[in-house]
Amino acid sequence: MAGKVKVLLSKLGLDVHNRGLITVATELRDAGMEVIYIGNSLPQEIIKTAIQEGVDVVGVSSLGGAHLTLGKELIEEAKKEGVKDQMVFVIGGVFPPADAKRLEEIGFEGTFLPGATREQIVSSILKMASAKKKKPA
Amino acid sequence: MTGKRIRTKEVLQAKMAERETTPLYNPEALKKLRTEFDRWRQSTVREEDRENWFEIPRTVLGSGIPREMLYSPLSNPDLDYLRDLGYSGQEPYTRGIHPNMYRGKAFTMRQLTGFGGPEETNQRIKFMLAHGGTGVNVLFDLPTIQMYDSDDPISKGQVGMSGVAIDSVEDMDIVFKDIPLDEVTVSLVTHYPSNTAILFPMYLALAERRGIPWTKLRGSVQNDITLEEVVRSGPEYIPPRDCFRIQCDNIEFIREHVPQWNFVTYNGYNLREFGTSAVTEMAVAVANAIETVEEMLRRGRDVDWVAERIAFFWSPASDFFEEVARLRAVRRLWYKIMKHRFEAKHHRSLWMRCHVQTSGVSLRMEEPLNNIIRAAYQALSAVFGGAQSLHVDSYDEAYSVPTEEAALLSLRTQQIIQEETGVTDVVDPLGGSFYVEALTNEIEKRILDEVDEIEKMGGYVTAIEKGWLHQKIANYFCEERRRIEEGVIKIVGYNVHQAPLALPAINVFRYPEGVEERQRERLAKLRRQRDNQKVEAALTALENGCKSGKNVMGHAVECAKVGCTEGEMFRVFKRVFGQWKPPSLW
Repeated sequence: MAGKVKVLLSKLGLDVHNRGLITVATELRDAGMEVIYIGNSLPQEIIKTAIQEGVDVVGVSSLGGAHLTLGKELIEEAKKEGVKDQMVFVIGGVFPPADAKRLEEIGFEGTFLPGATREQIVSSILKMASAKKKKPA
Repeated sequence: MTGKRIRTKEVLQAKMAERETTPLYNPEALKKLRTEFDRWRQSTVREEDRENWFEIPRTVLGSGIPREMLYSPLSNPDLDYLRDLGYSGQEPYTRGIHPNMYRGKAFTMRQLTGFGGPEETNQRIKFMLAHGGTGVNVLFDLPTIQMYDSDDPISKGQVGMSGVAIDSVEDMDIVFKDIPLDEVTVSLVTHYPSNTAILFPMYLALAERRGIPWTKLRGSVQNDITLEEVVRSGPEYIPPRDCFRIQCDNIEFIREHVPQWNFVTYNGYNLREFGTSAVTEMAVAVANAIETVEEMLRRGRDVDWVAERIAFFWSPASDFFEEVARLRAVRRLWYKIMKHRFEAKHHRSLWMRCHVQTSGVSLRMEEPLNNIIRAAYQALSAVFGGAQSLHVDSYDEAYSVPTEEAALLSLRTQQIIQEETGVTDVVDPLGGSFYVEALTNEIEKRILDEVDEIEKMGGYVTAIEKGWLHQKIANYFCEERRRIEEGVIKIVGYNVHQAPLALPAINVFRYPEGVEERQRERLAKLRRQRDNQKVEAALTALENGCKSGKNVMGHAVECAKVGCTEGEMFRVFKRVFGQWKPPSLW
């Protein structure tokens, strides 16, 4: 794959728990990806930054219960801005497993629950990013 | 800050050196034990065990303190019973702050409650009290914790999540409907100094509305800079110095006007859960408490006036004996600090009183029923350690906020410890154990060493500004993650003993619908009906108070009374203090 995979990571909305996402940020960086961590942001800002930075992957984290409401808004915003098919969207955090399915229906390509290992996260993000990069724009 | 900072460790070392000691073990006996120990070690202990005499238990949130295979009087040869332990309710309080401990008063069963709107939370509080809960513990939703109103665009989709939505005194009124504020003790989990300065005034305004004098209110707030500036992940921060000032303003105001209220709960819990060891958790809380007392002395207050109401909040994690020893260790250390460094006179000032909550990060999504066992052991360690009040996490919290059934099971866990096991009949039952006493000594020493590290750096607020703590946390949790992945830290059902078959799914809590709309409507009504001139005047007075350096909380109470919202008050803080960019965590 040409060039480094560029990843934007953000806490979704006002959720205060960032231990997991910072761990992921470190792991993706150590795996050779370029990571931009923007802290707490709302869907519109996240998509805006993702476009400005031209990232391959957008990863968001939610442990506070707002994964469905704000997750949906994020995907809708991506569609509105026409980047849903250019970028990979993944979400992680604490939510019931049934909601992981809902999030995939909404449009997230990867969902990571507590217990996801470094290996699972890194390899699936690389794989998804590489598949998308190969697709003709 | 001017002049050289006093180092607590130096003061204590000097004071300790002055004291006369009466060792419990006589030298002859110790000599005999030493000879026999050496003989036993060579003749009876396997070579392999001799070589690995020290082992480090690798547990979730552990301290990494090496442990001997067997402890004996030789592990603590200088033990001076009265100096190091004493009797319960007696200096140095190692064995507990009260002579009769749980015979006199059972630990308060204070289960956290908060989700949805104030109506739903009020129902859950009543449910817990009806089933034998003995205290109220209210948790706020994400926008409330972060100080935004429910109708702020930033709150969209998050109202009533992870806690209860509170926008104004009107919501506070509903949360506590039918709950006698002068009878029940109430813990308001206002994590930050800033939101304590906003939310507690709403509680005070409510008491006034109900004709209850503030002097009758009993309970606690957290009010901890560590939570606001280090543990939190949020969109906007005020600078640490201003945050610390608000922490101290809150303390001063509450002490003066609400004398039975615990104005600060130094929160080691959330810091540790974020990612620090058993030792750092306590060192940071103690350093913060020391700096607060120093500030109060600078403000001309008497040490006892402040210290009598200081409380702590700890997280008991998985290493059972470490948790027991640690509570005993910090109780003794806090006593020494108050007695010898600050020369407090009143016995209450010497007490390390604490609430504990079982560890949330130790809960696993895999095989969730295992979490019931984890929480029960953690709770038991807290009781052996002599905690004053307790919250037991629910097994389903690895998924969401607990269901009513799971919350009840947590309460039952506490009740079973209290009613069925007999452990509360004897004070400090593990005191005198060679192991527990040696570990207590080691942990106390390590906490003080880390306090010293912070003081040498220029104090706690400086340690935050410099990013020392942020970096320490990030290093710790990345390392812990690596150890779990490598199987060094073992977690049943996750990296060892995984279930071969998928287990049946558990019931998971679902948030009630329509909360955001209800909050928006109530806010709209409030903004229509309140006297907006009074609101403006109160907010201006708050702003002037912030600028003048005088105590902010009195102004915030006026704001709460006339119906100012949380978001309106936080905007004043941001305007006056400006914004701070916290150090990067990675």
